[in-house]
Amino acid sequence: MKNKKKSSIIVLLTALAVFALAPLGMGNYMLRVLNVALITYLCVLSVYVLLGMCGQNSFAQAGLWGVGAYMAANLVLRAGFPPVIALFAATAGTALFAFVLGFAFFRLRQYYFTFASVGLMTILNGLFMNWEPVTGGALGMQNIPKFSVFGIMLESEKANFYFILIICVLTFVVMRILFYSSIGRSFMAIRDNEIAANCMGVNSLLTKSIAFGISGALCGIAGALYAFLSGYLSYQTFTYQQSTMYLIMIMLGGTISPVGAIIGTMIISLLQEFVRPLANYMQLIYGAGIMILMVVQPEGILGGGKALYETLHKRKRTGPDAA
Amino acid sequence: MGQIMQLFVSGLSTGVVYGLIAMGMVLIFRAVGVMNFAQGEFLMFGGYLCYTFNQLLGWNIMISLILASVGMGVVGVLFMRAAYWPLRKAQARAIIVSAMGASMVFKEGSRLIWGSIPVKVDRVLEAPVKLAGGGIIQGQYLAIMIVAAILMLFVYLLLEKTFVGHVMQATAQDQYMASMVGVPVIFSIAMTFALSAMITGIGGGLLAPLFFLNNTMGATAGAKAFAAIVIGGFGSVQGAVLGGLIVGLVEVFGGAYISTTYQLVLIYIVLIIVLMVRPQGIFSSKIQEKA
Repeated sequence: MKNKKKSSIIVLLTALAVFALAPLGMGNYMLRVLNVALITYLCVLSVYVLLGMCGQNSFAQAGLWGVGAYMAANLVLRAGFPPVIALFAATAGTALFAFVLGFAFFRLRQYYFTFASVGLMTILNGLFMNWEPVTGGALGMQNIPKFSVFGIMLESEKANFYFILIICVLTFVVMRILFYSSIGRSFMAIRDNEIAANCMGVNSLLTKSIAFGISGALCGIAGALYAFLSGYLSYQTFTYQQSTMYLIMIMLGGTISPVGAIIGTMIISLLQEFVRPLANYMQLIYGAGIMILMVVQPEGILGGGKALYETLHKRKRTGPDAA
Repeated sequence: MGQIMQLFVSGLSTGVVYGLIAMGMVLIFRAVGVMNFAQGEFLMFGGYLCYTFNQLLGWNIMISLILASVGMGVVGVLFMRAAYWPLRKAQARAIIVSAMGASMVFKEGSRLIWGSIPVKVDRVLEAPVKLAGGGIIQGQYLAIMIVAAILMLFVYLLLEKTFVGHVMQATAQDQYMASMVGVPVIFSIAMTFALSAMITGIGGGLLAPLFFLNNTMGATAGAKAFAAIVIGGFGSVQGAVLGGLIVGLVEVFGGAYISTTYQLVLIYIVLIIVLMVRPQGIFSSKIQEKA
């Protein structure tokens, strides 16, 4: 068991090292793609907290992402705060926003919550599009300055990449801590059987709202990072389609661990950059690919890998050598 | 008065089409217990099939509608075989994601086949109709209401009065039990998907003359039908029709008196209010949520 844990840490560290070295051979365009993929990863991680850990399916994540982005942009452009404070405030603000809404929305169970979250997504997108004094309406918000801390401005794509990568690694670690903490275990108790969890003394309304709040915090960070990275916000980014994309990514990777979120995000975000010639057919191939993957492996790539590992392991143990 | 009447009629007639889509979604939901996230794409695809028969081949609109609905029946069965049947024992969210994948295939497939330029089909009724209150409405609105009413009556009779309908309802209530008493479950579910795709596809053909057809229309229409289901009562066919009418009326009157840009937002505000006040919808569903 300990060995297994050690080897998985080694695998993760190697992957991280590959990631950290990746920008050396890359142009600015690929770096931007990678940066956006990392930000998307944070949003997919928020779906992991809700769906993978707590068992609640939400389609409002892109909306929360937008809330974080517009909040950060407004704090910097209109209120004149430095970007660091805006980053923290947007994270906390989105978390609070989601937490409070969670109390209203989690009065509804399962399916009904999912529907309400589609409603929330649509309403938020409508606000982004039409609430001109705050979101700039259809024109969006422009000229958001780059992120800067202690007088160091993150001008280049590469600097941004490392900054975002550090935040992603930190959130990953926080997610692991959450997974083994008592609150994480109560999330999973609710996912597996809500009534039994209530009997064990888990307050399901509060716990689910906390999960929604945590997912809001992740989306808030992602939103603020996106605002500073792109410098321009448009309502067309924060759509229901984007939310469905997050669900597809996490299902593709597997909902059992945050690693699934990495796999799913990277496959979907990077694949289309490598097969440019097929761009016209890309969406079609995606759609068919998702269907085939779900049919072949409903637990996602990670679930499939785990099942494969277990069968191989079992065969080794019960094979002729072991006997 | 005339204007209110006019708005009322146009709201009602777009509402019945949302009702048709919602009805299709509810039929599938009752049969397999999972919401079909590709239902809006059935509408779009049906509209395009109708366009193919009507504009590209130049046939009469009524014949095109009938042929399109037959075609959609086949599409429905294929969809069920490819996206639902292999996953029937998996978790609901795997089915949802596979339906999303299918909806991407539909959307992009139609773009590749028919192009991305919006197209139109003929009207069923060309002449404008005078209303009793003094307004004038397009004949198509009247035609939509008549066709939709016929379809709804047809579905009602099929489900409640015929043997096939009883088989379908039995499968919807309990698949395992139905298979025990000799119901061929795959046939019954395939019938449900075909029926659902047919009525939704006809809705697409009927809406096409009023709004242009394009390959992204499915998402918006699906979202509205979805709201209709939740407002009307989850899992109830009558509720879906009523919810569709409410959505249509909210859309038209909200657009006329409050704001055109917030139309969809208004619909969803109504939805969230309904969910908060009466989560089981206006008609409570026959199939209760399991504890």
